[in-house]
Amino acid sequence: MSVFYDKFERHSQGAGLKGNSTHYCPGCGHGLAHKYLAEAIEELGIQENTVLVSPVGCSVFAYYYFDVGNTQAAHGRAAAVALGHKLSNPEANVISYQGDGDLASIGLAETVSAAQLGAPITVIFINNAIYGMTGGQMAPTSLMGQSTATSPDGRSMYNGQPMRMAEVIAGLDGPVYVERVALFDAKNRRLAKKAIKKAVQCQVEGRGYAFVEVLAECPTHLKMSPEDTEKWVKECMVPIYPLGVKKDLATESWWKRPAPNFEADHFLHAVGASSDTTVRHCDAFPVHLNPADISLKLAGSGGDGAQTAAMLIARAAINEGYDATHIPSYGPESRGGTSYADVHVAKDEVLNPASPHPDVLIAFNAPSLAKFGPTVVKGGTIIYDSSIVKDVPPGIDPGVRVVGVPFTEIAVDLGKAVVKNIVALGALQAATGIFPKATLTAAIGQMLKDKCALIPLNEEAFAWGVKAVEELGK
Amino acid sequence: MAQLKERPKPFLLPDYCKGCGRCISACAKHCITFDKEIDAATGYVPVVIDLDACNACGLCMDACPEPYGLRETPQDVDFELQDPAKLFGSKTPRPEPKVVPNTLIPLPKTEPLVIKGNYASALGALLAGCRHVFGYPITPSTEGAELMAKLLPKLDGTFLQAVSEVAAVNHMYGSGGAGYPCMTFTSSPGFSLMLEGVSYMIGAEVPGVFVNIMRGGPGLGNIAPEQSDVKLACRGLGHGNTHAITLMPSTPQEMLDLTMLAFELTFKYRNPVVILGDGYLGQMTGKVNLPAAMIKPGIPTWAVNGDADHRGNLISSIYLSEHDLEMHNIYLNDKYRQMEENETRSESFMTADAEILIVATNTPARASKGAVQDLRRQGIKAGLFRPITVWPFPVNQLMKDLAHVKHMVVVEASNGQLEDEIRLALSKAGVTQLPVMSHVRHFGGMLPQQTEVLAHVKAILAKEVR
Repeated sequence: MSVFYDKFERHSQGAGLKGNSTHYCPGCGHGLAHKYLAEAIEELGIQENTVLVSPVGCSVFAYYYFDVGNTQAAHGRAAAVALGHKLSNPEANVISYQGDGDLASIGLAETVSAAQLGAPITVIFINNAIYGMTGGQMAPTSLMGQSTATSPDGRSMYNGQPMRMAEVIAGLDGPVYVERVALFDAKNRRLAKKAIKKAVQCQVEGRGYAFVEVLAECPTHLKMSPEDTEKWVKECMVPIYPLGVKKDLATESWWKRPAPNFEADHFLHAVGASSDTTVRHCDAFPVHLNPADISLKLAGSGGDGAQTAAMLIARAAINEGYDATHIPSYGPESRGGTSYADVHVAKDEVLNPASPHPDVLIAFNAPSLAKFGPTVVKGGTIIYDSSIVKDVPPGIDPGVRVVGVPFTEIAVDLGKAVVKNIVALGALQAATGIFPKATLTAAIGQMLKDKCALIPLNEEAFAWGVKAVEELGK
Repeated sequence: MAQLKERPKPFLLPDYCKGCGRCISACAKHCITFDKEIDAATGYVPVVIDLDACNACGLCMDACPEPYGLRETPQDVDFELQDPAKLFGSKTPRPEPKVVPNTLIPLPKTEPLVIKGNYASALGALLAGCRHVFGYPITPSTEGAELMAKLLPKLDGTFLQAVSEVAAVNHMYGSGGAGYPCMTFTSSPGFSLMLEGVSYMIGAEVPGVFVNIMRGGPGLGNIAPEQSDVKLACRGLGHGNTHAITLMPSTPQEMLDLTMLAFELTFKYRNPVVILGDGYLGQMTGKVNLPAAMIKPGIPTWAVNGDADHRGNLISSIYLSEHDLEMHNIYLNDKYRQMEENETRSESFMTADAEILIVATNTPARASKGAVQDLRRQGIKAGLFRPITVWPFPVNQLMKDLAHVKHMVVVEASNGQLEDEIRLALSKAGVTQLPVMSHVRHFGGMLPQQTEVLAHVKAILAKEVR
């Protein structure tokens, strides 16, 4: 069989006798499963684009034998590793070969999630009802009453009951083919060979995930002769692990992933980068707010739009050729709760991006005004939503200008409460003159370039914010 | 019957028989028995076949678990006269693995983007040729994964939301092992879960980039910025003798640039690369310029790519023989030494005559730079040393900056993890006379501020005058 190496040179004693024998114990089922898998790969003609993932456990050294691409995975992680291979090169046929401790215990999450994903990988699961390599401890598949090194008085209810993996996997929607086979007699060996080939074929045809559970013999740790082990599998395991096809769906090939795209314009379009020169509207840095670095804080509750408004200020500043940063801060609530944004606009480079003592505060609600109002520096500006906040709290430096604008009322009048943050931006522009109006409206337009229909409403909201402040001044 | 006669009978080299007897129970004609003596070479008792009684049904060959155990006797060969070593001849030779080189694709000049640090890192990865991203959502790194989930389908790449961080790192082990640039975004508790896999990747020499946006711990802690995984990245990448180049950006622009660099380095050394950012940096929006070119990745010679050119390759970290594992570790250590010699990076700001040297990374380095400017305006000779690689530590650069330093102030959001790295690096470099060291520290989700650094330095100087 050409899928096996001529000589097992990777075997630590490959030069000697071991060069043509496996490292498995006499009578072990792995040898048979290996033969069936090698035959399947050979008969399907896929040796050159097959990757075999071998696990931790006795079959950790599967790569000694199979002349295909080989990856050896951590305990339990073979299915995850197999997916990494398959997603990276969909042309590869990826086979994960795992034992029961590996697949049904430590790697259960990876096993189940890979199966449910349904991507066409092939999983060969060797179930011998015991841990082999570590010396005969209890496996998730050990039978009730079975004595092992870690269930010396026999597996009891306190150790849980045997895991029927073929049924678990067949119960998921992802897999297309699940079968349990055995190796104890000629008929079952023939069925096992057939099942393994079919499972690989499901992948070759791009039909989906396939899983074959093989009831295998471990004479060493079951502490029986090979012949008695065959009998034990037949008489004791099969009643608990019934053989046969658990699932076999006629599925159209669906796994056709295109090769990744590396075209420059494709990339730039996807990330929204533009070669168009941004028009500048600013004559000079707004030094009247701060000579080099203006610190702003926008605060409200989640959903007020503080983060979006903050982003727009940063974008506007960068469009004008300055440096800017925005740091959001919010609580664990997905909606509601606190939501603060620290924004800096710097002539050259933002150094400290936090705003513990802002030059400008935009407060969308009363707690924000109460909390951050007193932190605003002397000479600074506070703009708050006067539809929500009825009384300005104490503690604000008398040198701070406090401007109340009914963000929410204006936005509601416009028919969309969510634009109150844009009203606030208009108010910011009018109250501080941080940038010309066109700088901010251009940034809004940029943000909405894929939702052009929303631009007029937002521009209107901005204009009303400006107007509200101007009217206050009159 | 004519067909039956043509069927080959079984043949066995006793040295290849482990005497399991599975063929005995399979034989319907009862013509296989155990030999009378132990095979001197194997220590097993092989089987013997009475070929006269055999009807060549083949069931025994099907039952033999050994690939080269019971085999069909070729009709025209007298096996008895053959040397076993020559019996099976040579088959298709393993192909010589081929390399497909990277291609550089020029990009037109574009206006700066205004994006979050996490997004910048994601774009850096895409520019470096990464189209395979695996991750599990965790604040404050999630936007990286979210952007990848949005962009990768447009670039025909794959984003897989793993079932856990444990699965994510093992998807990377497969993908990186197949020779593809792959990455993940995670945050402190997620990075802890990935460390087992990182150790395997280091052992098996699998490339991959880990962006860890550090948050407050231990345990679930909170989602605010910290810098408490420095020790984990520098001294604790899972079990065994592990190291990985660890980069600490401080701006969204560096999140992009250093992510691109991380991909270059992870393939150069066939070793994972870690990017440590604080929670602010992941969330911080800033100005980001795109580079002049992007990369279309090739396939390295060592990849288990699942194609004809790479069939003979193996990704594995197991070395059962103590001697082999020691040799492997000596090899890895040599690689670590090369990284130490070639890959240290840092930035020095006003350090030439500095008497007060502030050392900081990530966002605290920005605040510290602001503090240095404040101090200079007041006539105080302050400077900033910013390690960009924290492992390998840029100790030679630091030693140059120490020429006039009387005080070193380490500014960090952890209980001295960066300071430990500084002390260890200086100690290893043979610097025994350290300047006075003090620190500004926060932990719990706060970062040291410019004003605090300023106040700290002024307090030091006030004490000195007194």
